[in-house]
Amino acid sequence: MSTRWYPLYQRGNPQLRVFLPNFWMKLVRPTPKQLPNIVNFECSMEMTKYDIKNYLEKIYNVPVVDVRTKIAMGKFRKDIGKGYVVKEDDKKIAFVTLPKNMSFEFPNIFEKVEDQDDENMKSLDDAKKSFKSYIDRNKNRSDVPSWFSI
Amino acid sequence: MNKIFNKILRCSVVLNKSQNVYRMGPVAIKNNFHTTSAKCDLMEFFDTKKNWSESNIRVGRAWKLDELRIKSNSDLHKLWYVLLKERNMLFTMEQECNAKVRLFPNPERIDKVQESMENIEKVVRERNIAYYKLETGETGERPVEDVVNLIGLQEKYEKKEYAIPRFLNSRWVKPYLENGYTNSYAIKKFLRLYKEKQYNEKRKARNRDYNHVQQLLKRFPDMDMELLKAEYPNVDIEKAKRTKKARGNYMPKY
Repeated sequence: MSTRWYPLYQRGNPQLRVFLPNFWMKLVRPTPKQLPNIVNFECSMEMTKYDIKNYLEKIYNVPVVDVRTKIAMGKFRKDIGKGYVVKEDDKKIAFVTLPKNMSFEFPNIFEKVEDQDDENMKSLDDAKKSFKSYIDRNKNRSDVPSWFSI
Repeated sequence: MNKIFNKILRCSVVLNKSQNVYRMGPVAIKNNFHTTSAKCDLMEFFDTKKNWSESNIRVGRAWKLDELRIKSNSDLHKLWYVLLKERNMLFTMEQECNAKVRLFPNPERIDKVQESMENIEKVVRERNIAYYKLETGETGERPVEDVVNLIGLQEKYEKKEYAIPRFLNSRWVKPYLENGYTNSYAIKKFLRLYKEKQYNEKRKARNRDYNHVQQLLKRFPDMDMELLKAEYPNVDIEKAKRTKKARGNYMPKY
């Protein structure tokens, strides 16, 4: 188990038990709008539908009705400097259906930060304005230090 | 992460407490033993709400091997799942930050969790080997064999299970019986060229060093010869001194 190498056959053919799973899953924002009880995940390429179901039910205690998966091909792009073709990694995307009465909405994480952004922009504008006025004031006396003033 | 460490620390503290209590009587355990309640929800994939607007999230360090070695198997098992959830949370937050073109605060958290998980696996492996050695006299690790591979080079082959024995596997056995691994023309040619390439690399390195030593002797005739000998052990320095390249624009000393 710690070698992460599973035998083809064992006497008695016991069910495979994984004690330290190293699968990862991340919850992603759905690109087209979806039903409220469907959640999108990106997960390790090795995970099967059964793995995903068990993972969510046993580790996160989330009831799962159905799992559909697809493998999204990574994008091809040209390297900016060299011009050779680069391919991004493929991803496995899982669409997990929760029971009818449950719903999940992807939270807006940067709500507070957006408010702060407005304030930051305001202060930046103020600074720009004051700098502009300072430049205008000293237009006709170049080479004079800023402290040389009334 | 800090929170997790606290949780685990608390768990271990509680366990110790319960051990002390055990001397008093088994009834007391039930009252004193408690673990932090696991919040099971899809929101576990996200950081705590407090950290959403933070630009700098301070965390502790990764778990060290020695700290993990003194933990019990069940503790390691619990810690593994804590770390697994933490890693999923960090991956989710990183993905969301990238999607919204925001800075992901303290990305080194992922590395710390990763390192802790690797260390847990190392400790479990150690214990596995120790157990197998005690019980069977073998390590229980995957056996490794030195083999000559398809292009005639030495290779470590990690053995794996097959559904049929080797002699029944006609696809593997036929070319092997007909040619042997290193008997085919293509492999002989490859090995010849490969050896030539390796020899050339060696030869070029030798010449490069020899020339460099000559240039050094020309530029710095009074340098420490022992140091030079230590730096370039394969170069015959006495020979290099007498060459034309090593002679500077001054009267030679010999």
